[in-house]
Amino acid sequence: MIVAIARKEFLEIVRDGRFKWTAGIMALLLLTAMAAGYQKYSAYMDMQRLSQDKTNAQWLNQGDKNPHAGAHYGNYAFKPAGPLAFFDNGINNYAGTALFMEAHKQNFAIGRPASDQSSIGRFGDLSGAMILQLLMPLLIIFLGFTAFAGERESGALRQVLSMGVSNRQLLWGKALGIGAAVLLIVGLCVAAGGVALSFADLPMENESLGARVALMALAYLLYGVIFLFLTLAVSAWAKNARAALMLLIGFWAFAAFLAPKAAVEISKAAHPTPAFGKWMADMRSHQMRGIDGVPPFARFEQESREIFAGYGADSIAELPVYVGALRLQKFEEYDFPVFEKHYGELRDSYTLQRRLQDRIGIVAPTLPLRSLSMALAGTDLIRHVDFADAAEAHRRDMARKVNDYLGKAAVSLNTGYGGGNVLIADEAVFAIVPPFKFESQGLGAVLAEHSGNFIGLALWLAAALGLALWSARRLKAEEG
Amino acid sequence: MKRIIISHEARQLFRSGAFRALLLLMAGAVAFAAWSGQRSIDRQAEGANAAAAFEDGRRARMREGTEQYQARVLAEGGEYQFASASHSPGAGPPQGTNPGVVGSTTAKYLTLPPTGLASFSIGQSDIQLSYVPVSMNPAMNITRDNELENPVNLMTGSFDIAFVVIFLLPIFILAISYDLLSSEKERGTLAMILAHPISLRELLASKIVARAGVLLAGILALGLAALLAVGASLDQTDTWVRFGLWMAATLLYALFWFALSVLVNVYGRNSAANGIALAGAWLALVVVAPTLVSLLATTLYPAPSRMELTTAARQAQTEAESAYMERLSEYYYDHLELVPEGDGSAMDFLTVAMANRNAVDKAVRPLHDEFQAQLNRQESLVQRFQFISPAIMMQLALNEISGTSADRYEHFLNQAYDFRAEWSEFFTVRFLQRSPLRPADYDQFPVFEHREEPFGAVMTRLLPSLLGMLALLATAIVVPLLRLRRYQVAAT
Repeated sequence: MIVAIARKEFLEIVRDGRFKWTAGIMALLLLTAMAAGYQKYSAYMDMQRLSQDKTNAQWLNQGDKNPHAGAHYGNYAFKPAGPLAFFDNGINNYAGTALFMEAHKQNFAIGRPASDQSSIGRFGDLSGAMILQLLMPLLIIFLGFTAFAGERESGALRQVLSMGVSNRQLLWGKALGIGAAVLLIVGLCVAAGGVALSFADLPMENESLGARVALMALAYLLYGVIFLFLTLAVSAWAKNARAALMLLIGFWAFAAFLAPKAAVEISKAAHPTPAFGKWMADMRSHQMRGIDGVPPFARFEQESREIFAGYGADSIAELPVYVGALRLQKFEEYDFPVFEKHYGELRDSYTLQRRLQDRIGIVAPTLPLRSLSMALAGTDLIRHVDFADAAEAHRRDMARKVNDYLGKAAVSLNTGYGGGNVLIADEAVFAIVPPFKFESQGLGAVLAEHSGNFIGLALWLAAALGLALWSARRLKAEEG
Repeated sequence: MKRIIISHEARQLFRSGAFRALLLLMAGAVAFAAWSGQRSIDRQAEGANAAAAFEDGRRARMREGTEQYQARVLAEGGEYQFASASHSPGAGPPQGTNPGVVGSTTAKYLTLPPTGLASFSIGQSDIQLSYVPVSMNPAMNITRDNELENPVNLMTGSFDIAFVVIFLLPIFILAISYDLLSSEKERGTLAMILAHPISLRELLASKIVARAGVLLAGILALGLAALLAVGASLDQTDTWVRFGLWMAATLLYALFWFALSVLVNVYGRNSAANGIALAGAWLALVVVAPTLVSLLATTLYPAPSRMELTTAARQAQTEAESAYMERLSEYYYDHLELVPEGDGSAMDFLTVAMANRNAVDKAVRPLHDEFQAQLNRQESLVQRFQFISPAIMMQLALNEISGTSADRYEHFLNQAYDFRAEWSEFFTVRFLQRSPLRPADYDQFPVFEHREEPFGAVMTRLLPSLLGMLALLATAIVVPLLRLRRYQVAAT
């Protein structure tokens, strides 16, 4: 019986001229979005690899100079886009792409594509994820809002129920029929896109791509089914088709547009991020006065006896390493806790904001889905933080290696002055710093952080299903 | 008869629970948006003040150093000298005497003042810093820093009044008007009403007047309330002119959606079909069209990658360094009158660094200009294609009215570039002449004063959007008028 109902529902939808139009538009948008996404993604990745190779070569061939000047020249880390960025570009337009790694300073990733775009870009990117997050629910609503309410108005519901079909069978049948129609459009397009992309050359080592795609599909499936059951629930419960439609569209607009923005503002108020100027002034003042209130120069003076003793020396003359290099390295290290505090607090505020937004997902299923989708695509905050951490680790390693080299090479300066010109490093010296390499924490970290969002979607599914069963049970065959 | 219908319709509206809930929702959304817009503007101001205070404070301490030094020189005799650039504190003249050090290690923060309506439309001001550092460093550094904001939040966008107007207001309007005629027809009351001495056109007009009246009053009240709550500089005409423009744009936009609803209604489909058509139109115009235009702009005129710019700048830097002797003489060639006697002292680190910076700046300039040119091409494409969606026109218009548009920002940046030239010149000349800064010189530093664009320029950019919406509105009004004759009153 359920299959018969599903078949009837499916055929009725598919034969409707409106379905052909909506399906056509939806398919066109989805394919355009995927093609554009892929084109941007591959152009970005080509540029990223090319730029990274170029700056790595620039680091080596920066010319013969003082090694410390070489560390000032530094190197850049360019952020790879994330394994499924062509489907969901996530925060990539709004997070920096290039991070300058230099002596003395931790930097932010700069070059946010959004600031190099027209303000219209803020309406959002046309991406596969955007279509599925925003348009797919509306498609489900359009196809399903008449399921019960429409048949009640036409009297068909009364007939069907008189044939001994249970309400529950009717619900399952309709869910299957409509679900099949939606899958026909969305599934086909996604599959076509997937097949096309599998022929493209995507650089994806160690990214557990298969698991990511499977989890992504699961998340979107859950999301679609949530809207499907909500639609059926409202259609069964509402007075008429018109009221069902209005209610559903209202909920869709709330979940997809209003709730995410409101969640952002609420999370910003709950976990405020300082303005750049304030943050910068605080951090640099902190750097100048030192982490525990002793400025770097004074601290080095205070600690110098101890530091020298570490080398078994009483005076500069006895030091086995150049004191200037030692001081440079100590100054680097004095700044670490300052950077960790200020960058850390900033990062924490971002993470707390995102978590709060995810929790607000309890009122709008789009929120957990969106967060999950970005995380699985590798275009989320976790990946960005990983990248910044990797760059900072590289920066510290670079400074330390260069200072170590300088310490050993220029030890003669401890006793005699005027030998500044011997402080020249060349390509062979700069090669002691290995090229920057970025590896993300991988899927495990994503799942650990986002298990709550899967639970959120599951809760929504349970609620939608419960609501649908409840309204189906008290389904009335006639109006009033 | 018309008056009866109008007052009946208005009363009906206010009595309906759904309408009251919607009205409350709108009021709540405006209040929330005003609150968050205000927070955003306050945060910017806090950042601008802290950054300026930090850098001014550093200069003030340098000045103190020179004051102490001057007193010491006066007391002990000797010459007021020029310190060479150094990182470590020493006994000689303080760093504050060296114009090169002051000009390149401290920055002057320039602020783009928010307009009275800035909190109405955040625009790009959550990405682009509204306060930029100017020093002798390369011009590129002026735009190097971004405002700090969680990228997740940037992606989602602000819940500002522009969002309420562009996204939510149409939904509100469509919700109260999608079944303007169809509901009467479905209940069968339409034929009955038309049995009275009133034409369909008059009936429609009365219904529209009732709803539009409620709507306009609502917008005016909410807009005014928002202005009084979070608007700034209410004593200035500029603010009120901007508010007038905001009102005009919002009314045009609201009326367009209203007209669209009427347009769909006169085709005589049932309420559910009208609802679908209007929801689809909203989706197409507000959500899909802007992303398509944006996609078109970035595909046709892709901005050269920032990565490319970065690697090119480094290439230039390496070349500059490898040829620095040459660069140095070229640099002095530009400032021939300033070559110090016995040249040797000119070879210090700071001079070389400045010469390098100069070379990098020159080498990167063409790339940077190309970058900017490509962005301008994107922007002008968006300007041309804005007419396909009232939402795009409205976003551009509201950014323009609130003073958060790309053009106003560029106008500000150009002033910053000019000021950088002035600031650099001031310190470069004194540095190359090895003329030490005295405490009194600190009062002579160039001062920045932001010049607002002439209002005509704002209007020139605003007008196409407003006229575009007017044209769209006119179309949406004329079609139903022509179509109405063929409306079937009774359900078939």
